[in-house]
Amino acid sequence: MSAQSLKKTTATWIIVIMTLFITAIIFGILMRLNQGNDYKMSSPGFYATMTTHGLTMIAIWSVAGMVAINYLLTRYIKVPNSLSVFALVFTVIGAAMLWYATFVGQFHAGWTFLYPLPLVKIAWAKWATPLFFFSLVVLGVGWLVWSVGLLVQILKKYSLKQAFAWQHLSKKEPEVKTPPLILISTVSLIGIILSLIVAVILLALTFAEYYSGGAFVNDSLLMKNLIYFFGHTIANESLYLGLAALYELMPEVSSRPKFKTTWYVALAWNCTMVFILTAFFHHLYMDFVQPLGLQMVGQLASYFASLPAAGVTAFSVFVLVFRNHIKWSLTNVLFFIGIMGWLIGGVGALIDATISNNVALHNTLWVPAHFHTYNAMGNVLFCLAFFYWVANEFSGSQTKTKAQQLKTALLLIGGFGFVLMFYLAGADSVPRRFSNYPAEFKSAPLMATLGAVFATIYLIAILLIFIEILRKCVKAFSAS
Amino acid sequence: MNDHQFILIIFLAAFIIITAVFFLTYRSSLRPEEKSDGIKKPLQKRFYFLIALTIVLVILLSVTIPKSPYFKYSDQTPAKVVFVDAMQYYFFMSEQAIDPAKPSGADSIIIPVGQPVEFRVTSLDVNHGFGIYNSDAQLVTQTQAMPGYVNRLRWKFDTPGTYHILCLEYCGANHPNMRTSFIVK
Ligand code: HEM
Ligand SMILES: [Cu+2]
Repeated sequence: MSAQSLKKTTATWIIVIMTLFITAIIFGILMRLNQGNDYKMSSPGFYATMTTHGLTMIAIWSVAGMVAINYLLTRYIKVPNSLSVFALVFTVIGAAMLWYATFVGQFHAGWTFLYPLPLVKIAWAKWATPLFFFSLVVLGVGWLVWSVGLLVQILKKYSLKQAFAWQHLSKKEPEVKTPPLILISTVSLIGIILSLIVAVILLALTFAEYYSGGAFVNDSLLMKNLIYFFGHTIANESLYLGLAALYELMPEVSSRPKFKTTWYVALAWNCTMVFILTAFFHHLYMDFVQPLGLQMVGQLASYFASLPAAGVTAFSVFVLVFRNHIKWSLTNVLFFIGIMGWLIGGVGALIDATISNNVALHNTLWVPAHFHTYNAMGNVLFCLAFFYWVANEFSGSQTKTKAQQLKTALLLIGGFGFVLMFYLAGADSVPRRFSNYPAEFKSAPLMATLGAVFATIYLIAILLIFIEILRKCVKAFSAS
Repeated sequence: MNDHQFILIIFLAAFIIITAVFFLTYRSSLRPEEKSDGIKKPLQKRFYFLIALTIVLVILLSVTIPKSPYFKYSDQTPAKVVFVDAMQYYFFMSEQAIDPAKPSGADSIIIPVGQPVEFRVTSLDVNHGFGIYNSDAQLVTQTQAMPGYVNRLRWKFDTPGTYHILCLEYCGANHPNMRTSFIVK
C-alpha cells in the first residue's frame, strides 16, 4: 500500500467525520433550544433528531478512533488500505440509510432502540423500522470487517500473548517488546468485536420477531442486557482507541521519552478489558428482577475500571507534564484537556454507577451530563488531537497554531459550560429525553437555553479547528 | 441537605480539584528547559496513589452497597401493596391485581404515611419508568416497568402530600406527558 493512499483515505475520513459532527452538534443545539422553549419542534421530530444525533455521534467517534489507530499502526505492522476504504463506504451508506429512516420515515426509538419499542405500536412509517435495522447492519459490517482485519494484521506480527503484553508481566526486559499502541489496540479491538458480535445476535433476534408475524416474541430482560452490552461496550472501547493514539503521540509531540509498556501498563490494560465487559450491568440497576449478583458485579466492575484508568493513564500523563518543560501545540493541549474531561466525566459516571445514587439519578439529565463530558470533552478531543497532528504531517510542517489560546478558551468554556447545565438539571431531578419540561421543573428550560448558548461557543471552537485542519489537508493534496 | 444536593456538591468538589490539579500541572510545565526536573520516584508515587485510590473505593463500596434499594424494608411486611401497569401513555394503579386483558385502575390511590408500602410495577407494552416525585419535584425513588416482569419497589413515605409519578424510560413521542399521582396521608 502506498503512503499516499493511506493519507488520502485518512483525509477523506476526517472531512466526513467532521462534517457529520458539525451537523450533529447543530441537532444537539436545536434539541436544547426546544427544551428551553426557544424553538419549536414537533414531538416526533424532536425524538427523530435525538435518535439521529445519538447514533451519528456514537458512530463517528468510534470510527474516528479506528482512523487514528489504523494510521498509527502502520508504524509497526502492515495494514492494507482497502480495510479502511471498505469501512468508509459502508459508514457513509449506513449513515445515509439511518438519516433517511429517521428524518423521512420519522423513526424515533432513541439510539438504544430499546426492545420492544421499535417493534410494537409503531408510530412512524412502516418501512422505517426495517430500514433503521438494516442501516445498523451496514454500519456493523463495515466496522466488523475493519476491526477483525486490523486484529488479524496485528496477530501476523505478534502472538496473542505478546499482543496482550503478557511477557511484560514476568520479565523486566523481554526480547519482544509490545508497544503500548499494539497492546491498547488489541484490547480495544477485541472489545469492539465482542460488542459487534452481540449486536449481530441482537439484530437476529429482532428480525426473527419482526418477520415471524407474532409467532416469536423475545424476552425483554435478555434484550435489555444485550442492548446495553453492545451500547456500553462500543461507546467505551471507542474511547480507548482515542487513548491508544494519546499513548503513541503525546510524548512524541511533547519531545518527551516514548511511553513504554511495563508490567503495570500491561496489567492495567488486561484488567480494563475484563472490567469493561461487565460494567454494563449498571444500566440495569433499576430493573429489580435482574439477578442480585449481576447488580453487585455492575458496581464492582464500574468502580475498579477506574483504577487502571486513573492510576496508569492519567498518572502517566501527569508524570509526563509535571515540572517538565513542554512545548505546547494544539495536539498535546487537546490530549491534556481530553484527559481532564475524561476524568471529570469518570467521576460523574462513578457517582451514577453507585446503586444507592442511581435511584436518584437514573434517567435524569445526569446521564447525558457524564457521557457528554467524556465524549465531547474527552474522546472527541483525543481524536481531534490526532486529526490536527496528521494534518500537520500531510502538510509537512508542525507549524504554530493560529490563535491557539482563543481556540482552547472557547473549547473549555463552551464544553464545560454545556455539560455543567446537564449536571445541574440532573441533580435537580430533571428527566433526560424530555422534549419539553413539565411546569414543575422551574429552572429546567433556562438551563436548556444556557446549555445551547455554551454549546454554540463549543461549536465555534470546533469550526475554527476544523477550518485549520481542512486548510492543511487541501494544501497538502493540491501540491501533490 | 438531601441526597441530590449532596451528590452535586461531591461532584463539583471533584470537578474543582481535578481542574486545579491540571491547571497547576500545566503551569509547572512552562518552566525553562534547564529547570525541568520532573517528578522524583514516579513508580513509587504511582504505587501509593493506587493504594490510596483502592482504599477509598473499597470504603465507598462497603458504605454504599448496603444502601441499595433492593434491601430497603425487605424484612418488613408492607402495609399496602399497589399494583402498577404502565402502558403508552398511562399508568394504571390499583390495590387489586390488574387484568392485563382489560386494564383499569382506581380513581385515586391513598398511601399511609410512615409505613412501608410495596409497588408491583410492570408494563403492558414497551419499557416505561416509574419515577416517584415529591411535591417539590424532587425524585424520591424509582424502578422500571418492563413487559413480562414485575419489579417490586418498597418505600416508606414520611411526608404527607401529593406525589407525582413520571415515566422515566423513553417510550415514544408522548413520553414527557405520561404521568399520574397519588396522595400520602
Ligand atoms: C456540543 C455538542 C453536543 C450537543 C449540543 C449535544 C446535545 C444533546 C442533547 C440536547 C441530547 C438530548 C438530551 C436529553 O434530553 O436526553 C443529546 C443526547 C445524546 N448525545 Fe449529544 N450533544 C453534543 C455532543 C455529543 C457528542 C460528542 C456525543 C458523542 C458520543 C453525543 C452523544 C449523544 C448521545 C448518545 C445522546 C443520547 C441520545 C438518546 O438518548 O437516544 N453528543 N445530546
Ligand atoms: Cu415513557
